[in-house]
Amino acid sequence: MSELIRRIDNPEEITVAGRELRENLRAAEATPGRVLEVFEAWAAALREAETAGIPGVQFLRIWLRRGTLEPIIARELGCGALEGAWREEGRARLKAYPLGVVGHWPAGNIEIQPLLSMTCALLGGNACLVRVPGGLEDLTWRLIGKLDESDGQGILRKRIRMLVFDHGRRDLQEAMARAVDGAMIWGGAEAVQQVRGLPFPHWARLAVFGPRISVAAMDADSWCSRQEREAWCRRIARDVWQFDQQACSSPQVLFLERKAGQSCDEFVQLLKAAFETENRLRPRQAIPAGLTTAICQARASWLLDDVAHRALFPSAPDWTLLVGSGSEIPSPTQGKTLSVLEVDDLLEAIEKLDGNVQTLGLAMAEAGREARVASEAARRGVDRIVKLGRMHVFAPPWDGVDLIRPMVRMVRHVPSLG
Amino acid sequence: MDELATRIDRLLAMPPYSLAREERQAALLELLKDELEYACGRNRGLANYVRHWPVEARWARRVADLPYLPVGLLKRQPALSLVEPQEIKRVLTSSSTTGQVPSRIALDSSTARRMTKGVVAIAQDFIGSARRPYLVVDVPGSTGGGPELGARGAAIQGLQPFASEVVYCLRPGQDGDLTLDRGQLLQFAEARRRSPVLVYGFTYILWRYLVKPLLAEKICLGMAELHILHSGGWKLLQEEAVDKATFNEGLARVFGCSPDRVIDFYGMVENVGVIYPDCAQGNKHVPAFAEVIVRDPLTLQPVREGEVGIVQVCSVLPTSFPGHLLLTEDLAEVVAYDGCGCGRRGTCFRFMGRVAKAEVRGCGNIEPSRRESN
Repeated sequence: MSELIRRIDNPEEITVAGRELRENLRAAEATPGRVLEVFEAWAAALREAETAGIPGVQFLRIWLRRGTLEPIIARELGCGALEGAWREEGRARLKAYPLGVVGHWPAGNIEIQPLLSMTCALLGGNACLVRVPGGLEDLTWRLIGKLDESDGQGILRKRIRMLVFDHGRRDLQEAMARAVDGAMIWGGAEAVQQVRGLPFPHWARLAVFGPRISVAAMDADSWCSRQEREAWCRRIARDVWQFDQQACSSPQVLFLERKAGQSCDEFVQLLKAAFETENRLRPRQAIPAGLTTAICQARASWLLDDVAHRALFPSAPDWTLLVGSGSEIPSPTQGKTLSVLEVDDLLEAIEKLDGNVQTLGLAMAEAGREARVASEAARRGVDRIVKLGRMHVFAPPWDGVDLIRPMVRMVRHVPSLG
Repeated sequence: MDELATRIDRLLAMPPYSLAREERQAALLELLKDELEYACGRNRGLANYVRHWPVEARWARRVADLPYLPVGLLKRQPALSLVEPQEIKRVLTSSSTTGQVPSRIALDSSTARRMTKGVVAIAQDFIGSARRPYLVVDVPGSTGGGPELGARGAAIQGLQPFASEVVYCLRPGQDGDLTLDRGQLLQFAEARRRSPVLVYGFTYILWRYLVKPLLAEKICLGMAELHILHSGGWKLLQEEAVDKATFNEGLARVFGCSPDRVIDFYGMVENVGVIYPDCAQGNKHVPAFAEVIVRDPLTLQPVREGEVGIVQVCSVLPTSFPGHLLLTEDLAEVVAYDGCGCGRRGTCFRFMGRVAKAEVRGCGNIEPSRRESN
């Protein structure tokens, strides 16, 4: 077993781990460039059979590529940051320094999130204490094992401690909070509240990524386009399948703008076919019984509520399309349950979005109209407006905030000479 | 409707545990299809749901292929009903924890009559058919006279056909809690030491208000000839670390009987007229007029023997509400599809707790919550 991940039962173990990380940080600096070298080797190692099948690993591999991360580092930390150089700003020099030890409280329902969260802080030169949710222990161990193998010089090995303990252990949660200088907190409302209430040092910076949902929308010309619509359906299916529709960036509803004389039936049948194909390619391996009953409940409620409602679903809980009309976002079910609602004008639906919506996935045939829709959505609290099929592309700003910058200190040096 | 009623009554009149799985399928499938068609004719929403089911109900070849309703749908307001409001004689309500909406089950006189007959047919297979003094470990008035009846009241009332007299041994306490009426209890016990007696109480009420205090005082009621039936689940007792063996031993010591006189039964108000008592092997059985299908959460297909899944209850008894095919929020293990050592035919299963509720979490929950809890 990789030594980077261990089960913890005693607060003192966390305190010691925090102290070791702090000492290792003092001993050597890790520039983003050197971190990227290890990440590239890690991404290559993740291709192996042992890890390739873990949900989200393809996504993680793309994220770890130099081509993905270099522009993000440059945008968030400035030119020259890759090499750890100071950059000139007038008479001053600026350089990003790590906050220190960053604690990560990832969500338990996204397999790769402990690692994604950790990578953001590592790129800022930090060391990381990561609480691994119990259900993710085995696969996190496999994923971090690949990093361990790829880090020949031990650059990152000395900066990572992954801790497995029950979330109900208040003493361990508190010890972890006391040991860090910053925290990245992901989760549902209740969980986020709990973590925020831990005894962090007064200087600790917290980056909180709370629960949100996402929405997809298509204008009439896009879903009516005979050339394009099958491709759009494939993109929507991909967005729904990734992370089992549990991520904050997963679409829960698809709004279709009505077109006079056009029924959406044919489009819905194509969407059904795309869902069936995606399900064949990426079948679910397991499901919590509570999600199954929630899916059954959503199907039945929808059809009993209104005889004009329609639905398409197989006997298994694999996927569900709930078809109707209206501009309100229905209560999300997740588990690949997509509401497909016709609206007269897309702006009717956009006007009802609020800060609870993280991402708006769009398919629009006219750029000017798309810009207007994007502005309206942004004004109402939506943080990401992207093309359908790219709703999960993990690029900062995420939830409206940068991913590396919140966990670094921008140090300003104004030389005394001259 | 008359034709349907006759067919239902015919099944109700059969010995409840005499049919093997295939015979039960044959007996139930066509009747359930006809009941479903009848229900769809009376509820347009239900008809819409059935129309969208992936297998056309008329052509279904197994009960497992028929469209089932999640039990949560019975929490809707107004109650899902297949009869006119003036035909509703009583509304059963499920027990629900704080803040949760209870199920509301509309009963007309025919369904209410079948409910009684169903419980009697099942219970007499376990305790015999004779009437006997009935000690209810609850407060008087639990069965009320009003238009609504709760789960505790329904269970108490369901066993009343076995009663020659009914005595309640709890009283409402000053603080809203319950309290044991020792005088009433000891007087009842004294007078009926050598006669057969039936005792019923909710599992946690029996333990908390009768067994615990009497065990602490080392009181034995000396009633060897009784049967104790209890229901309502183990969640509250698990919090007190009381398991089934401890519970049965405690009851046996207090009443002075053998622990095998204690019978736990699983039941839910939505599944009117059907209860599932434990047999001597510790398994639950399904009567001829009902079926239990345990479904794999991943596929929603029936599980194999030895596997755990979500419980679906099926019953031909209700005609006043669409409770024929209900997917519950409970988990069970199918012990065997036939051949239980107790001699009862058909599916035998064990209750394995409640399905953990799924929550919408956006990018997540700090705890994975991927397992089921009891």
